[in-house]
Amino acid sequence: MGILRPAGEYDTSYAADMATIRQPWQWGLLAVFLLALYTLPLYASQSTVSLVNRIGITIIAVQGLNLLTGYTGQISLGQAAFMTTGGYISALLVNNQGWPFLAALPVAALGAGVIGLIFGLPSLRVKGFYLAMATLAAQFIIPWFTRNAFPEVLNGAQGLNVNAPTILGMEFNNPQRYLYLTLSILIITTIVAYNVSRSRLGRAFVAIRDHDLAAELLGVNPFKYKLMAFFLAAVFAGVAGTLSAHNIRHLNSETFNLIDSVMYLGMLVIGGLGSNLGPIFGAVVVEILIELATIFGPFFIELFPSTAAGAVQALRPLFFGTTLMLFLIFEPRGLAHRWQLLKAAWRLRPFSH
Amino acid sequence: MRKNLFILMTCLVVASLLLSACRTAATTAPETEAPPPPPPPTDTAVPPTEAPTEPPAPTDTPVPVGPPDLSGETITLYHFGDLSGPYAAITAPLIHGAEDAVKAVNEAGGIYGAMLAIQFADDAGNIDEAVAAYDRFTSEDDNPLVMITYGSGEAEALAQRFAEDKIVNVTAGLSSKAFYGAGSGYTFGLGPIYPDQLGLVMQFLVDNWADYKPAEAGDEVKLAHISWPTAFGQGALTTESRAFLADLGVEIVAEETYDVSPTADTTTAILNAQAAGANVIWTNTLAFGPAAVLNGLHALGLRDQFVVAGANWTMDLATYAFLADPAYAVGLIAPTPYLWWTDADNPGVQYAEELFAANERGAGEHNVGYLLLVAGVDLSVKAITHAIDTVGYENLNGEAVQAALIEMSPFEALEGVFRVDYSGGSRSPHTSQIRMIQGGPDAFNILQDWADTPDLRPSE
Amino acid sequence: MNWQLIPQFSVTGLLAGGPLALTALGLVLIFKSTYIFNFAQGQLLLMGALLTWWLAVDIGIPLWLAIILAVFMSALIGFLIERLALRPMTGQPLLSIVLMTLGLSQVLQGLALLFFGGVQRNFPQIFSTANPYKITTPLYYNGNPIVLILKQNLVWSFVIAIVCVLLISAFFRFTNAGLAMRGASEDHELAQSLGLKIHRIFGLSWALAGVVASIGGVLLATSSGLDLSLSIVVLAAFPVVLLGGLESIPGTIVGGLLIGLSQGLVAASKVPMVRNMAEIMPYIVLLIVLIIRPEGLFGQKRIERV
Repeated sequence: MGILRPAGEYDTSYAADMATIRQPWQWGLLAVFLLALYTLPLYASQSTVSLVNRIGITIIAVQGLNLLTGYTGQISLGQAAFMTTGGYISALLVNNQGWPFLAALPVAALGAGVIGLIFGLPSLRVKGFYLAMATLAAQFIIPWFTRNAFPEVLNGAQGLNVNAPTILGMEFNNPQRYLYLTLSILIITTIVAYNVSRSRLGRAFVAIRDHDLAAELLGVNPFKYKLMAFFLAAVFAGVAGTLSAHNIRHLNSETFNLIDSVMYLGMLVIGGLGSNLGPIFGAVVVEILIELATIFGPFFIELFPSTAAGAVQALRPLFFGTTLMLFLIFEPRGLAHRWQLLKAAWRLRPFSH
Repeated sequence: MRKNLFILMTCLVVASLLLSACRTAATTAPETEAPPPPPPPTDTAVPPTEAPTEPPAPTDTPVPVGPPDLSGETITLYHFGDLSGPYAAITAPLIHGAEDAVKAVNEAGGIYGAMLAIQFADDAGNIDEAVAAYDRFTSEDDNPLVMITYGSGEAEALAQRFAEDKIVNVTAGLSSKAFYGAGSGYTFGLGPIYPDQLGLVMQFLVDNWADYKPAEAGDEVKLAHISWPTAFGQGALTTESRAFLADLGVEIVAEETYDVSPTADTTTAILNAQAAGANVIWTNTLAFGPAAVLNGLHALGLRDQFVVAGANWTMDLATYAFLADPAYAVGLIAPTPYLWWTDADNPGVQYAEELFAANERGAGEHNVGYLLLVAGVDLSVKAITHAIDTVGYENLNGEAVQAALIEMSPFEALEGVFRVDYSGGSRSPHTSQIRMIQGGPDAFNILQDWADTPDLRPSE
Repeated sequence: MNWQLIPQFSVTGLLAGGPLALTALGLVLIFKSTYIFNFAQGQLLLMGALLTWWLAVDIGIPLWLAIILAVFMSALIGFLIERLALRPMTGQPLLSIVLMTLGLSQVLQGLALLFFGGVQRNFPQIFSTANPYKITTPLYYNGNPIVLILKQNLVWSFVIAIVCVLLISAFFRFTNAGLAMRGASEDHELAQSLGLKIHRIFGLSWALAGVVASIGGVLLATSSGLDLSLSIVVLAAFPVVLLGGLESIPGTIVGGLLIGLSQGLVAASKVPMVRNMAEIMPYIVLLIVLIIRPEGLFGQKRIERV
């Protein structure tokens, strides 16, 4: 099988070694995979398409968090708050100012990035648990702000109805259409995340994560790069928040909440910290687990009459929490690590040891 | 060992993928196996014991070729609400009311023989989950007719979708934004919108101030709005209702909020209202919401300084469940746009009471939610029946049901328990009683009989 | 500012700080000996309250017995959590341990919802809900003396919470087990080499945290009601811990009172937006603490700076 290169065959040029997609058949596989995703509305039900939309948006948020937590090693419990920021900026620009969606999206992303930068400032002084607390503060202060500031514009706790995006006269007002938008933006963010991680920037992030003092001695300014990581993470969150708000077509201070922030961290660990495949694996697995809870929930109604149909809502945190704990104990490096092992084993087959 | 674990996990993931690909509808199965003999009842609200003996009475509406026989067909109603979040206290009776009513309608022959089914989704009060549930429902059914919602937030957020997809939304969340916001048009309320309710009660208090004012209060009605900071909690305060109150001479001296949780503390809100000179408190909350205000007032010894009023939901058994002492509810004033369980001479109330007893529902569910949904199902059935009569079953869709609701207006649901009127561009009724609690849960006494509320819907 | 409300709100704010301090104490107990920040403390609190409700209302045993049983069960839950979930995490990086407690919080929340349902409940009243204490202050506003109105449950919750904190303090100071726990908190390896059974100490800390949490849960639930959102109270307790100093037991009292006071004072404002700041005051205080004095008021100056 020529799926992977046999052992003993090496790259002969730097360009070949650095190439993201290394072999022609991989291009083919990627094309088929993307084609399958883009044509999903033709053969999948609306609820499946809707699920894929949610997964795609979640992946973007987790990709951002991966740059901050996975690569730079800074714990953030505030990713959902930056999604709120992005969502509100975009909703206001599109609904009130009449901006086209494609113009509002980058502005919302940058706006979220700047707010992320501000809440990243404590990282210059504290780290670890203390920093987690500072980001937790963001998770409280930003939603509070949207609830209480400028009620005539932000409409308090009731939140905003958000228009469906319109691009070139086409209104993306159902899951099938929205899928094209989600996938296209997801491809862009994946390319960006991948390239950040393998450039000087990404290596500086890793250096800070592994040892900030050593990194500083090597000429990596930890302050600058930590802030850049916060900024980038919030930009990704801004994009995800914007996409999600226009998908749900409603936004309030609770749309992206602390539980979401926790889930994103959990997805990252389940998928694999500091790996570009991690966010994808993690988001897919956890979102499907949640979907399973929706499916299996009704069966639990018989078992636990006290919760009645609420079993669905009980199973979600239960599934998620249990999976997270199992991964932490048995496979703290996540699915991406497993994937690497699998690939290596396949490549060295039959001499895997 | 780790390798085995990994294989196990891979299997789980693959299995889950497969499962989600070929998932089946998680639903209460419609009882299609053995439909009882289908005498088409024109009025499905008649108690099941009487219905089968009724002859197929000809209806007034133009029926092309007699009443159709729809045996074997299934019409699904969808409802979503909150069983695990802040509104859980009120949702279970709503669901049971819907289920029992649907069962009774089916036992009485369904709609021309077509069986009703009902599907529920728990969105925990989250808008994004409500949207996910909506997507799920619409993908399982390419011709959904009626969806029932309970929360103002859900109703507001989904109003545009309902209109785009032409699905009638019968809602108990009575925020005006859901009914009359931009792009709305398929959302119909079971009661007057909250601004109307606030206006009605304030009008009444201004007119009868001498009779109801607290001993130490002045001649002016000074209102403190103490409520939840949610779409529902803030639903009564709109531009229109503020203008109406200003015309009425009622000053809003304080607008306070407290958490949507039974653990919320209302002390600061109440003391701020007192400091601002308020003598009337309006709370747009339910269950532990009004209970928190009443408990707080009593714990602070300030109950006799305020008239306490609230939206229709405040006057309910669910509120009693959270009061430190049932006597604390005495004196609460609320508009009730429906009859109460104590109006036992009404056949609709009797019908609901029969269902309640037949399904052995617990005493705690003998509240507004159950009654409301028995009526909601009745209203939906009436509208669907009327739509079938008008356009025929093969042309039946949400649009036809919407047209039916408007065409039938004004009409009564559940034999007069509810009075609705969707004519003249109005998608919520504008009539209600006002009641006051003057004893236990059975003493919701009428202060003012059915009267028109002020019409405070926003100009479209 | 509504000046006439300041005395009232200062006092109610301070009193509300009592249960906050008790909640924070649970966090400090665990951190002191194991260096773990327990994000699941709120769920322990919820468990304590739910178990009490279940025993007292559902099963129908007397309330005092229900509370005692619930306290023991919570201690057991705390002990089991340490043994099953945290022990395997020994030596793992901070992120993993934080996520472990977060995952645990999700599991416990899910279990609570599964077994008890999402319906809010009325909790048995321990203190009288009427007849507030009225204290006439020597202060006057517009010629009338300012009278403080204090709800009974607020006052008694405060007293019980503070007594609990003092008792735990005394336990640490005067008993052998307390001494061992203090020793362990200095240095795990050193303590172990001196013959202290460090894992037993960890287990004991978690059990104590469970006890403290269930008392806190009952106090919070009895003042108004019980639902699953009770667990979020711990999020206001994190700032208390940071303000007081991560390892300081007296610090929790001072931190709790200060945060309660800050929440009370903003509530006396005339501007609604400032008034609503009460809910985020803990986090504003937290940001200030992080910038000015990250080790807190009574903490040890060994936090890692960048």
